[in-house]
Amino acid sequence: MSYGKKDEDADTGLVKVDRTQVFQEARLFNSSPIQPRRCRILLTKIALLLYTGEKFPTNEATTLFFGISKLFQNKDASLRQMVHLVIKELASSAEDVIMVTATIMKDTGGGTDAIYRPNAIRALCRIIDATTVQSIERVMKTAIVDKNPSVSSAALVSSYHLLPIAKDVVRRWQSETQEAAASTKSSGGFSLGFSSSSGNLPVNNSTMTQYHAIGLLYQMRMHDRMALVKMVQQFGAAGAVKNPAAIVMLVRLAAQLAEEDPQLRKPMMTLLDGWLRHKSEMVNFEAAKAISDMRDVTDEEATQAVHVLQLFLTSPRAVTKFAALRILHNIASFKPQVVNVCNPDIEVLISNSNRSIATYAITTLLKTGNEASVDRLMKQISGFMSEITDEFKITIVEAIRTLCLKFPSKQAGMLQFLSGILRDEGGYEFKRAVVESMFDLIKFVPESREDALAHLCEFIEDCEFTKLAVRILHLLGLEGPKTSQPTKYIRYIYNRVVLENSVVRAAAVTALAKFGVGQKDPEVKRSVEVLLRRCLDDVDDEVRDRTALSLRLMKEEDDMATKFINNADNMFALNYFEHQLVMYVTSDDKSTFNAPFDIAKIPVVTREQADAEDRTKKLTATTPSLKPPKVGPTKAAQTGAESAASASAAAQKFTSELMQIPEMKEFGNVLKSSPIVELTEAETEYVVSVVKHIFKEHVVLQYEVKNTLPATVLENVSVVATPSDDEELEEVFIIQAEKLDTDVPGKVYVAFRKVNGEGSLPISTFSNVLKFTSKEIDPTTNEPEEQGYDDEYEVAEFELAGSDYVVPTFASNFAHIWEQVGASGDEAEETLQLGGVKSIAGMFSLFTTFFGSFRLTIMFGTDVPVSQTTHTLKLLGKTVNGGRVVANVRMAYSAKTGVTTKITVRSEEEGVAALVVASVE
Amino acid sequence: MAGLVKKVYDWLLRTFWATEMDVTMIGLQNAGKTSLLRVLSGGEFTIDSIPTIGFNMKRVQRGHVTLKCWDLGGQPRFRPMWERYCRGVNAIVFIVDIADVALLPMAREELHSLMSHPNLDGIPLLVLGNKSDLPEKISVDELIDAMDLKSVAHREVSCYGISAKEETNLDAVLNWLMKFANK
Repeated sequence: MSYGKKDEDADTGLVKVDRTQVFQEARLFNSSPIQPRRCRILLTKIALLLYTGEKFPTNEATTLFFGISKLFQNKDASLRQMVHLVIKELASSAEDVIMVTATIMKDTGGGTDAIYRPNAIRALCRIIDATTVQSIERVMKTAIVDKNPSVSSAALVSSYHLLPIAKDVVRRWQSETQEAAASTKSSGGFSLGFSSSSGNLPVNNSTMTQYHAIGLLYQMRMHDRMALVKMVQQFGAAGAVKNPAAIVMLVRLAAQLAEEDPQLRKPMMTLLDGWLRHKSEMVNFEAAKAISDMRDVTDEEATQAVHVLQLFLTSPRAVTKFAALRILHNIASFKPQVVNVCNPDIEVLISNSNRSIATYAITTLLKTGNEASVDRLMKQISGFMSEITDEFKITIVEAIRTLCLKFPSKQAGMLQFLSGILRDEGGYEFKRAVVESMFDLIKFVPESREDALAHLCEFIEDCEFTKLAVRILHLLGLEGPKTSQPTKYIRYIYNRVVLENSVVRAAAVTALAKFGVGQKDPEVKRSVEVLLRRCLDDVDDEVRDRTALSLRLMKEEDDMATKFINNADNMFALNYFEHQLVMYVTSDDKSTFNAPFDIAKIPVVTREQADAEDRTKKLTATTPSLKPPKVGPTKAAQTGAESAASASAAAQKFTSELMQIPEMKEFGNVLKSSPIVELTEAETEYVVSVVKHIFKEHVVLQYEVKNTLPATVLENVSVVATPSDDEELEEVFIIQAEKLDTDVPGKVYVAFRKVNGEGSLPISTFSNVLKFTSKEIDPTTNEPEEQGYDDEYEVAEFELAGSDYVVPTFASNFAHIWEQVGASGDEAEETLQLGGVKSIAGMFSLFTTFFGSFRLTIMFGTDVPVSQTTHTLKLLGKTVNGGRVVANVRMAYSAKTGVTTKITVRSEEEGVAALVVASVE
Repeated sequence: MAGLVKKVYDWLLRTFWATEMDVTMIGLQNAGKTSLLRVLSGGEFTIDSIPTIGFNMKRVQRGHVTLKCWDLGGQPRFRPMWERYCRGVNAIVFIVDIADVALLPMAREELHSLMSHPNLDGIPLLVLGNKSDLPEKISVDELIDAMDLKSVAHREVSCYGISAKEETNLDAVLNWLMKFANK
């Protein structure tokens, strides 16, 4: 048979490789003598199938696997290589793969420069199981320190994979790994490329082995901080490690170490600083990124990184520019003043042809810009606005919107800019972004209202988008009547009635009605009525209906009409409302639909609250499309909105659960449920956790008890909860768990009554004893034995504290509330001296976690510590009874005394302030 | 030129006279399979060989015949896989430790269950009583009875006593295997 013919077959075979066909062909493996060439082609086909995602069923994989195992020890080196490759891939799906261990092991040790050695090592670690790892220990150890980088890398990567299944064994290879990481040699000599006949390894000069070795060393020493520090310092020394990827790994490790242990921050910072000047770009970037992500990074430290990044901004390569800009953008979100120096370089990039770079440039500039530079920037942006795509324009508009909210005093210029681009050509999405930005301006920057409304009015005169026109009309209806000259807007609105399609006409009618209802000026009222009367002849019935309704309402002088048309004070928590509706509609359980959706369950928030929440969200999310990976150096605490939603969702869940219990029906709704508190370790015999539910006049402790002892049943499980101070709380009843099987959690409820009535907020420490009858299960019958024995089990104490009575709330004006509450309620103060905490940020994170558990909302603007020496944290919450609680936490840091903190809490209800302060200690 | 002639000659020899045959060696753990294979292929006997994980494969050259010997692990977890490697081979060699009488019943069980596979019908079986150098061994006749070899049907069966350590009777084994080289 000629070779040419065979190649043809192979070619067509490769184009359409079919699993079943390959499986049929696999009989070839069993033929004797072996035909290396044909086998190799077949193996290649199998590999192709496996790599392209085809899955062989277990029985087929096993048959293939054993077929392939017959090819072992063939003289053809390439065939051997191929065999190992396919075995490695099949190992996960075939059975009994352990069978080939001994044979593969032979290849791993074989001739030192055999080409298949790395493949054999990689295959070996895939087929081995935990019990036999020991037997390959010697092979692996020699391979790790092999002078050939390919072999060494293969061994290191394999060890990495083996680590989870045989930790103890692999850990013993540390000294070898260490040696591999430190080795800088590379095999010399030249090769003319890969040659299958010689079967020798091609020369590999890569230093990637170091990367693999350091990765493995980290895995081995993960839990030993001292060893990690030593490792970073040893390999971090200049010239110790050549491979840039390996150094990047070290950079990350150093950053992580500095994060975890303040003691290490200084030495690690020195290392990072050194890496900023490494000759490899990727190391520079990683070091700069690590520095920028570092907790409470100082200006000097950041400046170093910024300086290096600045140099990259002028690099000819787009990817370099992008990487540098991205990190600068990140730094700019919390240290704008440091990035300022780069502004000239960044400004050049605004007109970069790469959209991603240009976008980052703009958003960075908008962050670093102070009030003074904003105008210049706006001018620059408007210069090229016409040259860019809609998508890009939207990003910029959104960035500007954020800026408006940040610098309200600049609103005039920005409004000018927005109205300018509103007149430009553009698609719906772009126009929508502009209009929404103006909406936000009207909402949050009251001074801009009249101007913005005027621009919007002009816009709807010639607006091709129905949806936008409707929204603007709605806004005009809301805001127009409050302005000094409402009549101005009426003309614009009525123009719509004359000129537009029915949808817009209907919206215009509703907007008009808002000018009429509750209108004090009889002249205006009369004109509105005249205009509306004309609409009664409209061709569209929706328009006519709305007109008729409005006219009728205008005649009503009572509150009802005002409420109906101008309802602006209260609204439902829309996010939660939507979620509940979706849950209701998509419910699988048919019985859900027996009861209609209960709208009373949806929490109502005041317009003020909703707006404040909205504003916070808009300020923190710079631009939705380009959200920076991390805002500031701290872990972002759960935002108020989310925590409120999750809290109310949790309360809903518990309420419905508790309502099932007849004894608790009379308690009313749950006002607040605490997070779950674990009272035992997770691996004890009986696992107990508790949830505290606060009712109007009662406190219910819900214990979750899980019995983890096999073959026992607990019966009549109850918890004796003793408050430390039983004058304020009086036990009402205990609901026992009748029977607890192994690993099936059960619930025990203990209810207390507040002795001093609904207003009181008792705090107490509870000691808890679990009481039960334990019965063993008879293994023959699987029934619990008749006779059990009574037993007790003491679990940890927990506290019912001030935080259990506080829920989060929102507000836009903190100072206002602060004064308001201060005037009506009481105040408590506490000064703390914490020498142990080394910085403001440290203190800050301590407090955020503390108040997070407290469920006080952190006010916007105080949630990221900016200064190194002082910071003020403003917090706001509500007690379960509805009284507001505000807290002002001032921190000052000095090197001598550590952090001094002064906490001032004011509350509308008496005693609450003291309660909150007391629980801080 | 001479090289070319030599190559052609070798190729002819390989194609027309050289034969390759597969032989599977099985038996309980510690019967001496790996040691025997090592000695057969010309290696030194070692007392401290490690248990085989999976299998070993070695070629034994004898004249123009190459014996490809599959030495399978004898531990219980590998036994289900014996059958897979016995399919289509030229001969099966079952090795028994004749100095360990206690294990004989188990060896018999394993052998008979393997021989009952219809796939393996007609494949010649050679039972070897290894470790004949040890004093507490049993004789070949006793082994035949203990293994109940008379009841093994559908194939040619032989039984020898050997010692891998002292290299006694190994020629007989090879000669017996060679008989089946051309089948």
